[in-house]
Amino acid sequence: MSGLSFIAPKTVEEAVRALAAGDGLTKCLAGGTDLLVQLRSGRARPEVIVDMKRIPGLIGISEREDRFIIGAATPGAMISECGPLCRAWPGITEAVDLIGSQQIQGRASLGGNLCNASPAADSVPAVIAARATCVVVGPEGRREVPVEAIVTGPGQTSLRKGELILEFHVPKPRPHQADAYLRFIPRTEMDIAVVGCAVNVTLGDKGVCRDARVVLGAVAPTAVIVTEAAEALVGHWLDEETLGRLDAAARRASKPITDKRGTIEYRIKVAGVLARRAAAIAFKRAGEC
Amino acid sequence: MTFIGKDLKVVGTRPIRPDGVDKVTGRANFGADMTVPGMIWGKIKRSPHAHARILRIDAEKALRLPGVKAVVTAADFPNIAAEEAFAGEAIMDFRDLSRNCMARDKALYDGHAVAAVAASTPAIAEAALELIDVEYEVLPFVIDVEKAMAADAPLLHGELFTQGIEPKPTAPSNIAKRINFTKGDIEKGFREADVVIERRYTTRPVHQGYIEPHACVATVAADGQCSIWSSSQGHFMVRQYCAHLLGIDIANIRAAAAEIGGGFGGKTLIYVEPVALALAKKSGHSVKIVMTREEVFRGTGPAAGSVIEVKLGAKKDGRLTAAEVTLKYQAGAFPGSPVGPGCMCALAMYDVPNANVTGYDVVCNRPKVAAYRAPGAPNASWGVESCLDELALALGLDPLSLREKNAAKDGVKAVHGPTWQNIGYAETLAAAKAHPHWRAPLGAGQGRGIASGFWFNIGGESTASVHVNEDGTVVVATGSPDIGGSRVSMAMMVAEVLGVAVERVRPIVADTSSIGYTFLTGGSRVTFATGMAATEAASRVVDELKKRAAVIWEISPEAVEWRDGMAYPAGQNAGAFEPLPLAEIAFRSARTGGPISAEAAINAQGPGAGFGTHICDVEVDKETGAVKILRYTAIQDVGRAIHPAYVEGQLQGGVTQGVGWALNEEYIYDKDGRLENPGFLDYRIPVASDLPMIDAVLVEVPNPRHPFGVRGVGEVPIIPPTAAVANAIYRAAGVRLRDLPMSPPKVLAAIDEEKG
Amino acid sequence: MPHVVISGDISRRFTGGEREFDVEATTFRRLILELDRRFPGLGRQIEEGMAVAIDGEIFQDAYAAPIGEKSEVYLIPRIGGG
Repeated sequence: MSGLSFIAPKTVEEAVRALAAGDGLTKCLAGGTDLLVQLRSGRARPEVIVDMKRIPGLIGISEREDRFIIGAATPGAMISECGPLCRAWPGITEAVDLIGSQQIQGRASLGGNLCNASPAADSVPAVIAARATCVVVGPEGRREVPVEAIVTGPGQTSLRKGELILEFHVPKPRPHQADAYLRFIPRTEMDIAVVGCAVNVTLGDKGVCRDARVVLGAVAPTAVIVTEAAEALVGHWLDEETLGRLDAAARRASKPITDKRGTIEYRIKVAGVLARRAAAIAFKRAGEC
Repeated sequence: MTFIGKDLKVVGTRPIRPDGVDKVTGRANFGADMTVPGMIWGKIKRSPHAHARILRIDAEKALRLPGVKAVVTAADFPNIAAEEAFAGEAIMDFRDLSRNCMARDKALYDGHAVAAVAASTPAIAEAALELIDVEYEVLPFVIDVEKAMAADAPLLHGELFTQGIEPKPTAPSNIAKRINFTKGDIEKGFREADVVIERRYTTRPVHQGYIEPHACVATVAADGQCSIWSSSQGHFMVRQYCAHLLGIDIANIRAAAAEIGGGFGGKTLIYVEPVALALAKKSGHSVKIVMTREEVFRGTGPAAGSVIEVKLGAKKDGRLTAAEVTLKYQAGAFPGSPVGPGCMCALAMYDVPNANVTGYDVVCNRPKVAAYRAPGAPNASWGVESCLDELALALGLDPLSLREKNAAKDGVKAVHGPTWQNIGYAETLAAAKAHPHWRAPLGAGQGRGIASGFWFNIGGESTASVHVNEDGTVVVATGSPDIGGSRVSMAMMVAEVLGVAVERVRPIVADTSSIGYTFLTGGSRVTFATGMAATEAASRVVDELKKRAAVIWEISPEAVEWRDGMAYPAGQNAGAFEPLPLAEIAFRSARTGGPISAEAAINAQGPGAGFGTHICDVEVDKETGAVKILRYTAIQDVGRAIHPAYVEGQLQGGVTQGVGWALNEEYIYDKDGRLENPGFLDYRIPVASDLPMIDAVLVEVPNPRHPFGVRGVGEVPIIPPTAAVANAIYRAAGVRLRDLPMSPPKVLAAIDEEKG
Repeated sequence: MPHVVISGDISRRFTGGEREFDVEATTFRRLILELDRRFPGLGRQIEEGMAVAIDGEIFQDAYAAPIGEKSEVYLIPRIGGG
């Protein structure tokens, strides 16, 4: 029977060393809402578990002049309780608020949600739409990369051996910039997203869209930045025609699978619907702020 | 003695249940909470194949793993003879049950138990399972009920011949039985009809969804005395079934019922108990087995997936002239789906002059079906109640009026034969019509549906014992596991009879050695049958209390009355004595004759039938197919609600399960017959936010056969929701769904198809 | 004499297809014995697999259930529950 080691480093350097050492499977533990499920079901059999929660900086939210810095292991509940962050990025916070349930959010983190690399991760599209970055630390030092560079496929990340995500940097929104996140699930809580859509827009004169980012989740191996959808929005109001082009762009960008959570046909349709609805909310919010 | 029509002090109030505090603080002891010194852990190895011959099981490597104490297979269970088996219509067939608990010769479903291990830790037991080598010959499988009925279907049992067909078939089949009920002349009935509607409805299997998995601790002492602690709806049933399966005398087994985290029928039989006993015997240690959620889905019985074909004929004015229903139910790996009750419930609410109802019980490669709240009826009513709605629309009548026109009443002959007596169906319709929900305005994209349901409810054997403590407090002990608040109802009925506050009466559930035989908790029987026994025992205690007062007062017992918890002299001539409270008599019981207690052991007959009518409002998101339940009212004839809050709870719980059945619950199989969603993540039962507050309306048409007028209530409420929701969806979105569950992709596909 | 109907039809294999009988019986016990006398094996079938509805009221496992001279008696499949 294999052994299991549990290491709780107190510094970043200690954590990097623990992750870099060892030949067997090494897993990071933040909230554990994915890892523990995988351990129990036998899907993951790590030899080493490295707890992130005692490392300074991994838990906590701080505000600088131009950005929010969110520790990678910060529980979703803390994010939901951070007033300034909620006001700046309601889409991100409502995405985090949708992960699992209230109990899960007491533990689940942005870092865990991202690195678990499920195509259906709820926080990922909104964080990408906000053009957030990750600070990655590892044996070779520190680097800052866009969030979308981390996940490379279902269950796969671009993190090298020994690397961990330290924190997320979310830029402060510009005036008349706002986001929204919607997802479709069969029930009202507890389900994995069938489709998720985040929209981040900036409005200019007369409410015409100056800038946009539309990101879909659960309809491809990774979250998809739908450039065609952003192009449909930029330079336009959100009228019927724009909504139609947005819907079509979202559908074209969706390459889902049929699984026990949804069929290809259904996911493609709903991707279009959610894109329209999330855009409507983002536009409204951007107009009001 | 009857309390119907009397002014009552305790019955009808809402005291806090005695098990409440422990349950909400986590102190209650459930099946997995028992620990016994020296206890080891059992785990079950399960077939990964839907259908396979078991060629060889080699446990050699597993037994050599340090910490492993025993391995069992079917070889460790008596091979129950075939003659005892196909004895016909008895619902429990012990040969099948034994093979379901531990496969013999063949694995019949993905998840079928093929071996079990007991080891000193759960991790070692888990590792040992992987070391048990099983050689299978994989066979073609069949799961869908109609595919299983086909002539060329893979056969599960080479010696199964369809019962109920004349002449007896010569070739074996997966159709275990065919059952048929007729009334009048069906051809004539359809000829007389102005409108005939013929439709087909289908359901997928759904699980009872109890939050607490099966768990037990079994001990076999050196002298052969066995004890079992388990999560079960019937510890006498556990004792009896284990005795049968293992060839042990009933007297040598003592079974206790743990607190239960839901059963709903799924725990009216055994799975892990005989395996734990076999491991305990072989290893010499007490053995605990706790199923994982995945095992519950793969290895325990759900409700049948089914096909329901309905043909209704009616006059223009709405009077039904004919009804033809065909039910095809999956039985799972062994015969015994509840297609019989399904046939009898399908048209029970209606006065149909001509009817023909046929049912097929069909085996297939999935877990053996187990009871789930009104077993058989929800499937049948899904079809019939939807079809009635389609008929109402075709006739241009409102669905409530259509039901009123055809409602079964006292004196009407049921399709299965007997003439109805003392039923309250029409009263539920009247209550629905009068309810504000029926007339509440609806917005765009919203619709309202109604549906009805019927369940027989049962009585059966119960023993109850009431004894008075030295301080005048009282204990009522019964043998009925409490799955729905029945224990507090026992205390309330006893308190009412004794005339004391309910806080002075402590209800307990006694084990099989401490109370007389009691049939399991199911069939909505406990408040009726065990309540009847408890009431009887309490009245005998009252008789005894009067006798003791008579001794103290030196008068004849006939001259003593009992009122409000005290003995009074009956009239002036008896003597001018101060009333004697119960506590006073208890205090002096030794001198007046000894401890005061009484027991009643009965086979309760006369359970009252239950009828319900539900109103459901939904909103359909026409772009995603999502259905939201806006408002739900469940109206049911409950006879007499002993504790109204727990009766309301039964209605609300049944509705919730029915809504899950309607909207999202289903088993998903892959191309190899393996279950893809054995967990609550992807087997989607409703979460709290999925439903609004459910209004439970308790109509009381007392059952004259019970001292308080009780009818069983727990099962009826799961029957109407599926059709009520579908009927509401039709009116909200203009689409008629006939296949459950009505999940968003299916609703959206129907909407899109309707658009053209 | 009470008129007895076997409803549901499975038991017809014991009775060669007949489902309606006039049976001299004042209790359910006597009814079972009479039917078993006429159709050997049917008695056990009824005891273990069926319930009886006498004038609309269902009895299960009740030898003493009274049957009147003009009673309507139906033998129906046994009812359980969940």
